[in-house]
Amino acid sequence: MQAAMPAKSGQTEANVVALAADQASEELNWVRLAQGADTFAFEKLYRANVDRVYGLCLRMTGNVSEAEDCVQEAFIQAWNKLDKFRGDSAFGTWMHRVAVNVVLGRMRKARREQDRIRAVSDVAPPMETIADDGELRDLEQAINELPSGARHVFVLHAVYGYSHGETGDMLGIAEGTSKAQLSRARRLLVQQLDEVSDEQE
Amino acid sequence: MNRNDDNNFDDELMAKAARLSKPVVPKRDLWPEIEQVISAPVVRERSAWNTVWAQAAAVILLVGGSSGMTYMAMSGDGDSTVPIIDAHTQLVFEPVSGSFGSQYFLGPDYQDAHRVVSDNLNERLADLSPEAREEVLANIETIRRAIDEINRALAEDPGNVLLQELLIDTYRDELSVMKKVDSISNNAMYRSDI
Repeated sequence: MQAAMPAKSGQTEANVVALAADQASEELNWVRLAQGADTFAFEKLYRANVDRVYGLCLRMTGNVSEAEDCVQEAFIQAWNKLDKFRGDSAFGTWMHRVAVNVVLGRMRKARREQDRIRAVSDVAPPMETIADDGELRDLEQAINELPSGARHVFVLHAVYGYSHGETGDMLGIAEGTSKAQLSRARRLLVQQLDEVSDEQE
Repeated sequence: MNRNDDNNFDDELMAKAARLSKPVVPKRDLWPEIEQVISAPVVRERSAWNTVWAQAAAVILLVGGSSGMTYMAMSGDGDSTVPIIDAHTQLVFEPVSGSFGSQYFLGPDYQDAHRVVSDNLNERLADLSPEAREEVLANIETIRRAIDEINRALAEDPGNVLLQELLIDTYRDELSVMKKVDSISNNAMYRSDI
């Protein structure tokens, strides 16, 4: 029984790798079809990636309706510049880059329309809680309260696992700035979570 | 909390962050609105500049071709004594509210010259052969269509200096063709070698 375990584990691992390769290959096929203006293929890509893109947009913007708008704009932009996707990275990673650009672009625009946005944010509902676990829910809430620079770095690096180089590249900041923002985010999060913990006690 | 506690808490924080679910399901289906946008027929906006340049290019061809053909039609009898029209006739725009969409119109000097030459042209056309007359009228008509085209382009882009200059040149071409017809007819009438 014990002797069979490594073989079974090895098989499972091989199956996972094969499945991932199949999925990547299938996704590339959808991309090729979508590049030929096939909206059905693009819908497949949308369905396969929307949850991850939405998760990123929601955490970066901290607002449900803004995140929905960002997702829609990101996929529309992706459709329009799909010919520029050469498959050097996974489609999901490329979509994340597009989405980050959309979020940053909209934030820059929002800053120019500060008064209007302030009026909207006054009535905008708070971000939905997206984690079930109590501790994780507190963390989500604390992330949402971070200043935007620190929040973006923390979300991309700590939640989505991008390196500081990739994070800096996506946000248009230096790698060192990404590290500094992460450090700031951690410090602020620790403070906030301490406060929450004190309140609960 | 000492430094070790800090580090532990920090590591714990990063571990928790990594455990946060990456995908989050949107509350509503966002696809229909995306589909609506990407399925809409692509209407490429023509830039105003493209339109202006295309019109300018068309006008240059029209005027150049028309003037050339008129010259060829009129000089077909080998008369090399046709005087060259003064290419520097002073034509200036004067602001006139409401004219051709922009705020410019050609000044009274041009209007006077145009009226005189136009009257002469009508008289001289009668002296031309039917073929030459048809050719001249067709080409003057082409130049006038070009003037209309430039006026329309100027209505969209009133401050365009290139178009303003082109309009002056085209008016000058019209004047030049009409004067050429006039002088050729005069020469034909007063030739001493026949």
